[in-house]
Amino acid sequence: MRLARLDRRVTPYLLVAPFFVLFGVFGLYPLANTAWMSLHEWDLLDGPTAFTGWANYAALFTDPHFYNALGNTASIFVIATVPQLLAALGVAALLDRPLRGSAVWRAAVLLPNVVPVVAVALVLTQLFGRDQGLVNWALTGLGVEAVDWRAHSWSAHLGVAVMVIWRWTGYNALLYLAAMQAVPRELHEAAELDGASRWRAFWSVTLPSIRPTVLFTVVMSTIGGFQLFTEPLLFGGGGSGGVDRQFQTLVMYLYEAGFQRFDAGYAAAVSWVLFVLCAVLALINAALLRRVVREA
Amino acid sequence: MGRARTGRSWGWLPVVLALVATACGGGGDGAGGKLRLTVATFGEFGYEPLFEEYERLHPEVDVVGRVTDFESHHKGLITALAAGRGAADVVAVEEQYAPRVRRSKDAVVDLAGFGALDLRDRWAPWKWEQGVDGDFVIGLGTDMGGLALCYRRDLFERARLPTDRDAVAALWPTWERYAAVAARFAEEVPDAKFADSSGTIYTAVLNQARENYFAAADDSFIGDANPNVRRAFEIAGGIGAKGRTARVAPFTPDWNVAVNQGSFATTTCPAWMLAQIREIGGEAGAGKWDVTTVPGGGGNWGGSHLVVPAQGAHQRESYRLAEWLTAPEQQKRLFVDAGILPSQPAAYQDPAVLGHTDAYFSGAPVGELFAASSDTVRPNYRGLRDADVRPVFGLALGRVENGQRGVDQAWAEAVAEARKLVG
Repeated sequence: MRLARLDRRVTPYLLVAPFFVLFGVFGLYPLANTAWMSLHEWDLLDGPTAFTGWANYAALFTDPHFYNALGNTASIFVIATVPQLLAALGVAALLDRPLRGSAVWRAAVLLPNVVPVVAVALVLTQLFGRDQGLVNWALTGLGVEAVDWRAHSWSAHLGVAVMVIWRWTGYNALLYLAAMQAVPRELHEAAELDGASRWRAFWSVTLPSIRPTVLFTVVMSTIGGFQLFTEPLLFGGGGSGGVDRQFQTLVMYLYEAGFQRFDAGYAAAVSWVLFVLCAVLALINAALLRRVVREA
Repeated sequence: MGRARTGRSWGWLPVVLALVATACGGGGDGAGGKLRLTVATFGEFGYEPLFEEYERLHPEVDVVGRVTDFESHHKGLITALAAGRGAADVVAVEEQYAPRVRRSKDAVVDLAGFGALDLRDRWAPWKWEQGVDGDFVIGLGTDMGGLALCYRRDLFERARLPTDRDAVAALWPTWERYAAVAARFAEEVPDAKFADSSGTIYTAVLNQARENYFAAADDSFIGDANPNVRRAFEIAGGIGAKGRTARVAPFTPDWNVAVNQGSFATTTCPAWMLAQIREIGGEAGAGKWDVTTVPGGGGNWGGSHLVVPAQGAHQRESYRLAEWLTAPEQQKRLFVDAGILPSQPAAYQDPAVLGHTDAYFSGAPVGELFAASSDTVRPNYRGLRDADVRPVFGLALGRVENGQRGVDQAWAEAVAEARKLVG
């Protein structure tokens, strides 16, 4: 009897414990530890050498490379996210219509997302190669001058953004599709009876109904976009993101500080700033989301 | 699914235990109860056949090689040393990272404890010094990177330049003359570049100087005032600014493609670079390359030491393996088989080494070219923060090659950034 009562009282906690244990070990502890590191002069190998308080943050906020990385990250984020979400909407709208072999199509759009990012980056980096790249080959074929994709900010940002778009469009399309299919059919039928065009129905019925999902994808893309690392790193030029740091993102700068200069304290400061930045952006997005849902 | 369960079942327990056991039992024992030792290197060390021989000599040991590229290798090492686990039993450390490891030498085993001090006379004195800190023996020297210059005979012929290696050497007694040859080459051959990158030229010129970024006396930053650095930057930047480099750096996929396509005619060749070119160029590249002396005469670029991380479980066995791998007999063999330049007089003064020619490089007398000058090779002083400052100048040269900056402006930027880093 007593054992049974204990079981009733303890078991629920045990059942939810794995999440909290994992969150504590892989979420809270690193977060706290990184905060502690960021207040020190901390060499990756030798450990802490001095407590410096806010010195790392003070240095960071006057560091031109940091603002450069911040600007690059924001630029790549915009170039990658806007077309990506628009394309995802279009793909989802196409998949939402009665289609033969719809399961195959849905699986197909997710395919780029399950291919490892390294493979995607390697292939696309080759395509954007300066001397032997397919893109430049096509450009010169069209009579346009070949582009040194890595050398300029705009072209490098575009190249990296293409990788992100390629990987995440299908994933977002499937999210939109799921939301679209939850839109009551009566609404569409009513729109049709009112004589609305397909475009008008999409604009006035579908889109307002999936607004929460759209905002959710914007939040996720924001967090993902500000943590962009593998794609620009593999785009070439090492951790510096090109000879003029023209496509060095925030996480790449963190990597350069922590694993190229082994300045773990500074890298920890970068990661905390990044964390706060992501948190603020997520909060703004969440506030927007709440308003939109209330309106809907 | 849907099958109701009554009572508790512990059927999962053995599975979990088995998983835990396999996950934790990874290191240590190899196949058939043998002692497994891992050796981590980067690029081309030519060690694979030696591992097999060591296993034959020591049937109880299973040697596993782990080869990655230069950057990942060293970053992985530092991360593993910081974490206290994950490092191989024997790890190569290149001279650029040697000061970093010396600063944190507690992370590696003092090989003097196994009698390494008695081996001192095996190495050229400077090579030995690079691997020790007082009586603390950090690592045992592997190869060294005596400088030469590799050039493409076919491209030189097209440029109506001499192809004979002595005549080519006579073209460029100095780096200034090398730049002049670059100009001549550019006039004759429009579809290939004279050199691979400003960065390789820069590093070679810099490595011929005794000091570069830091003063040997007190490790203070002198990169902004040292005329050697400025001169190297101006020579390399000048060639790059005129568009005479293919703008590809060694150890990148682009460089590999350029080697295969014959996109550049020369590259500075530390001894270990021959193995890289041979590996990348493959059969098709045989006989196209040749080797001659480098402008400015001699110098050293690279070379490594083998260290035993303190976290290793089999330190004595690891030391024995490292000692054997770096012994004169093995160094001799590595030179003849793979072109890895020995760092020990007994090896590089051996007639078999001195007389060695390399068929891949048009039969160049590489023994004579590299080994004969080994006695005069002097390393340059590497400051503690060398690895932090070095990339700054490399990136600045990249901006010059891109045409985004002039040499003077790039220099000013690099100096300012370097000062900030060390300040």
